[in-house]
Amino acid sequence: MVTKESIEVIAQSIGLSTLSPDVSAALAPDVEYRVREVMQEAIKCMRHARRTTLMAHDVDSALHFRNLEPTSGSKSMRFKRAPENRELYFFDDKDVELKNVIEAPLPNAPPDASITSHWLTIDGIQPSIPQNSPLQAVSDLKRSEYKDDVLAARQVLSKELQNYFDKVTEWALTQSGSSLFRQALSSLEIDPGLHPLVPFFTSFIAEEIVKNMDNYPVLLALMRLAKSLLHNPQVHIEPYLNQLMPSIITCLIAKRLGRRLSDNHWDLRNFTASTLASTCKRFGHVYHNLLPRVTRSLLHTFLDPTKSLPQHYGAIQGMVALGLNMVRFLVLPNLGPYLLLLLPEMVPEKQKEEAKRHGAWLVYGALMVAAGRCLYERLKTSETLLSPPTSSVWKINGKLTNARQSKRKASSDNLTHQPPLKKIAGGGIIPMSSTQMQVNGTTTIPQQSLIGRGIALRTSAPLDTTVDNYLFPLFEYFGESMLMFTPKHELSFFL
Amino acid sequence: MDPEQINEFVVGYLKKKGFSGAAKDLEDYHHQNNGSSLSSIDYHNDPELTKLIRSFSQQEDDPTRYRESYSKLRSWAYNSLDLYKHELLRVMYPVFIHCYMDLVGKGHTQEARAFFNSFRKDHEMVHLRDLQKLEGVLSPSHLEEMEFARSLRKSKVNIKICQYSYDLLLQYLHRTESTLMLGIINEHINFQVYSGQPTSSSDDIEAVTIVGSFQDTANHINQKEIQWGLLEDSLEDRLEKTGGLLSDSEKGQGESKDGDADDSKKRSTEIGKQGSSIKKLKKDKAGNATAKVARLETSTVPPAPRVKPELALPVMSTDVEQSILEDLRNRVQLSSVAMPSVSFYTFINTHNGLNCASISHDGSLVAGGFSDSSIKVWDMAKIGQSGSGALQGENDTNDSIGGPNGRRNYTLLLGHSGPVYSATFSPPGDFVLSSSADTTIRLWSTKLNANLVCYKGHNYPVWDVQFSPFGHYFASCSHDRTARIWSMDQIQPLRIMAGHLSDVDCVQWHPNCNYIATGSSDKTVRLWDVQTGECVRIFIGHRSMVLSLAMSPDGRYMASGDEDGTIMMWDLSTARCITPLMGHNSCVWSLCYSGEGSLLASGSADCTVKLWDVTSSTKSTKAEEKNGNSNRLRSLRTFPTKSTPVHALRFSRRNLLFAAGALSKPAS
Repeated sequence: MVTKESIEVIAQSIGLSTLSPDVSAALAPDVEYRVREVMQEAIKCMRHARRTTLMAHDVDSALHFRNLEPTSGSKSMRFKRAPENRELYFFDDKDVELKNVIEAPLPNAPPDASITSHWLTIDGIQPSIPQNSPLQAVSDLKRSEYKDDVLAARQVLSKELQNYFDKVTEWALTQSGSSLFRQALSSLEIDPGLHPLVPFFTSFIAEEIVKNMDNYPVLLALMRLAKSLLHNPQVHIEPYLNQLMPSIITCLIAKRLGRRLSDNHWDLRNFTASTLASTCKRFGHVYHNLLPRVTRSLLHTFLDPTKSLPQHYGAIQGMVALGLNMVRFLVLPNLGPYLLLLLPEMVPEKQKEEAKRHGAWLVYGALMVAAGRCLYERLKTSETLLSPPTSSVWKINGKLTNARQSKRKASSDNLTHQPPLKKIAGGGIIPMSSTQMQVNGTTTIPQQSLIGRGIALRTSAPLDTTVDNYLFPLFEYFGESMLMFTPKHELSFFL
Repeated sequence: MDPEQINEFVVGYLKKKGFSGAAKDLEDYHHQNNGSSLSSIDYHNDPELTKLIRSFSQQEDDPTRYRESYSKLRSWAYNSLDLYKHELLRVMYPVFIHCYMDLVGKGHTQEARAFFNSFRKDHEMVHLRDLQKLEGVLSPSHLEEMEFARSLRKSKVNIKICQYSYDLLLQYLHRTESTLMLGIINEHINFQVYSGQPTSSSDDIEAVTIVGSFQDTANHINQKEIQWGLLEDSLEDRLEKTGGLLSDSEKGQGESKDGDADDSKKRSTEIGKQGSSIKKLKKDKAGNATAKVARLETSTVPPAPRVKPELALPVMSTDVEQSILEDLRNRVQLSSVAMPSVSFYTFINTHNGLNCASISHDGSLVAGGFSDSSIKVWDMAKIGQSGSGALQGENDTNDSIGGPNGRRNYTLLLGHSGPVYSATFSPPGDFVLSSSADTTIRLWSTKLNANLVCYKGHNYPVWDVQFSPFGHYFASCSHDRTARIWSMDQIQPLRIMAGHLSDVDCVQWHPNCNYIATGSSDKTVRLWDVQTGECVRIFIGHRSMVLSLAMSPDGRYMASGDEDGTIMMWDLSTARCITPLMGHNSCVWSLCYSGEGSLLASGSADCTVKLWDVTSSTKSTKAEEKNGNSNRLRSLRTFPTKSTPVHALRFSRRNLLFAAGALSKPAS
């Protein structure tokens, strides 16, 4: 730790310019040993002063034990790390004008030591008083709320609950980023005694959303509040869903959320979409018309070309969150016409405003992800039908081949290579009986480039034909990027 | 092997040993007799001998050889069978430190450092402290100077190892001809080979502490007989005598609880007094299997025979005695289901200056020892009377104290000239003893608020001082590695207990006043006979400095807490650790048994007070032996404070727990 060089530096600093290298080499380890010795004693002092941090005067007293002169001026000096060099430390030794020191008013005397007493526990239970650690206090608060649950029957708000409501709403509106609010949210999510507050919270959210359409942080805070409330398993929120849902949907597909350009309303929409989906999942079976109503309003927005792009985005995200079936049945059929509308918005020549172009790209991305996931799911379900040896066999010739057992020959346009295929397949492959992997002919021609550009892939089970018709042109719409969504296993088909 | 080769070896060996003349002669001789074979012994075909000879001629002090052979041994040990691995790995640590010290001793500082750093990680978990000490040793003179290193060099490490592991190790060493490792192992390790299966790695605590031959002396010392029974005619006994009468008279107040307690105590003492009852038990065992379990519980904790005090104990005034008896009668029975109440005294505005805190036996007085040499004593009863201002929080109290009048609500005791490291109240609370870095112990009167006596004797800072349970006598311990017994009326110590290998950090009296226990930085706890001044027990097992000690009220068990947060329960008679109580993650500053010994409270730097159920841990030891280690559930409760490390704990005679600590701002 102490090197020869440091000894030399120290020697120079005290005026010994000629120090033979032997001396410094001999001194270095000894200095280190002595330093460690002193530190060992200093640590003992620290322990006996009931501390866990070593302080300058511990070292001083350790030096004192050894009958050494204590170093002076080492009190509360802090080393600073040099900005460029991580290994270099220095004292931040400021020059102080003597006059300023003399003329400065005397600082207040530090308060004298004193003692306070409180009950840490009473018969093994920690009372919730400010002197005790807050962690325990929270659990005690919970306990008190639990008692108030009895009062809920009479719909009388206890003082504590009132206080709770006031505080939470205040934080939501003013300091939504604070840790306090975050704690409040987690308490909303788990506390059992909040039921009496639900109507107040729902009406609060509804009102404030209308008032604060241009205030992004508040909107986000309100959505988080709603989500926490919806997640609380102890709260019966069902009767108030019809009040709460419109507020949530507003946050998803409203024309403007937030005032400034910097407000990331896309995030808010994503967040709201997930809230919406989890709500529908949880209460869908209780209110059978909940899901249809939600989807209707989303679809309505999606299909209305007069709505703005953020609104479309919200609607798409909402539907994606609600499940892939929703996408397959509602989005994909309308994908073609919609893309015709969207694509011009994405090119700089047609759409001069950058913000809008950005929006269009985001919508495009959302659509792509939605479609891709659909595709992925479809391929996954048919995965079992593709037995592992297939992929290796396809590569035997180093050529691209494709399996096909076409029952519905109508959709396939070249059958010429069927006999050679069977030869290649030879012994081990293809128990592909009922499902047909049908790949458009282009790729099957040998010596084709590795990744077929215009691959249109089609998986079909007889029942889903109509739906899968919409999967069919996905590659036309999105091109190669769709390949990302094909599961690896299936992808090997194309290689 | 060719004769030329042999000649080469011989010459090499001679040169190495400095016999250059002889080597030259030999060479000349061989040149003359070139060709004629002079070997009459058939060492050509003896491979063993060849190897041996080769090893002699090799450069012995080649520093890289240490590294090579050690890393070979290490990788072999790590790749050995899982069952035997931990035993073999145990060997690695002594080999490691001795390799290092060999290298240092031969002056290869750089190599030693590189060697140390590359294998340091392996041993850091268990031996961090020792490694930190050794790390600084960089020259042969340090080896001589440093006591720890010297003792390691001198003594042999005892390692218990099963027969098979031992064979494995020897086979390996012979097969690979690692004479260097073999030498180190032969020189510094003393194997205690036992037959049978290897022990599991976790429960064998002795295996990891390196104390060398010290272990033998410890075992020898621990053979001595000690009498851990309580004193004859103790207050508890008196309570039992008078208890029946009084509880009859006080029945109106509904003290059924205490009545029960008395009954149970009577029962247990009856068993102890009647020697025949044990015989009875034995008969019962044969006859009645169901009753056995219940009986066992009582019979595992037979009260020890009462002992006579070896010191002349002070006479207690009847007033005091009455009040103590009154307290004992009103004691709340604590158990794992009946938790105590904890009253917490928080020191504020101490500016990191509070070194120690002490609470009087009735909890009414609190003393704090500060690093500015002052001692401050607060009378909590008075603070309580002067309104609840103190309870209102920091700001209010600041105003009331820090006003222009300078009115203080504490008694300031000035006299020391160094940081005060310990303070203790005499049992009635009329005296305070304090120990300081100025090497003195001072006696203060809380009535007169003045210094009465200054005891000088220690040569170095006095870390701890404790009044005996009956007052008058007190014990102190110091950086000078001794513990001393004093009486209040003499300024010289009565006994000096020397034997610890490092600072004595804490001291505690046995309830019968005949013994004191000391905890030290050498990681051991020792028990000393007060009358003879001899060490009667050595408790080995802690892995770091011992910071706190407590004796159970029945005198049978002792708890010790260390720097790492481990608390160990010891059986005094066997000197064995009953169980380590794990849970704290920082220094255990304070330990205290409840009045009847069923709970142990511990206060730690991790800002918690923990309660441990010690009745279950002591009772279940018999079952444990049969069932293996099944219990880790002794921690009953954890009470976190609001960033206040717990410096002191005290169960009052009525079993109210007092705790004290200085509020420290959480590190931000």
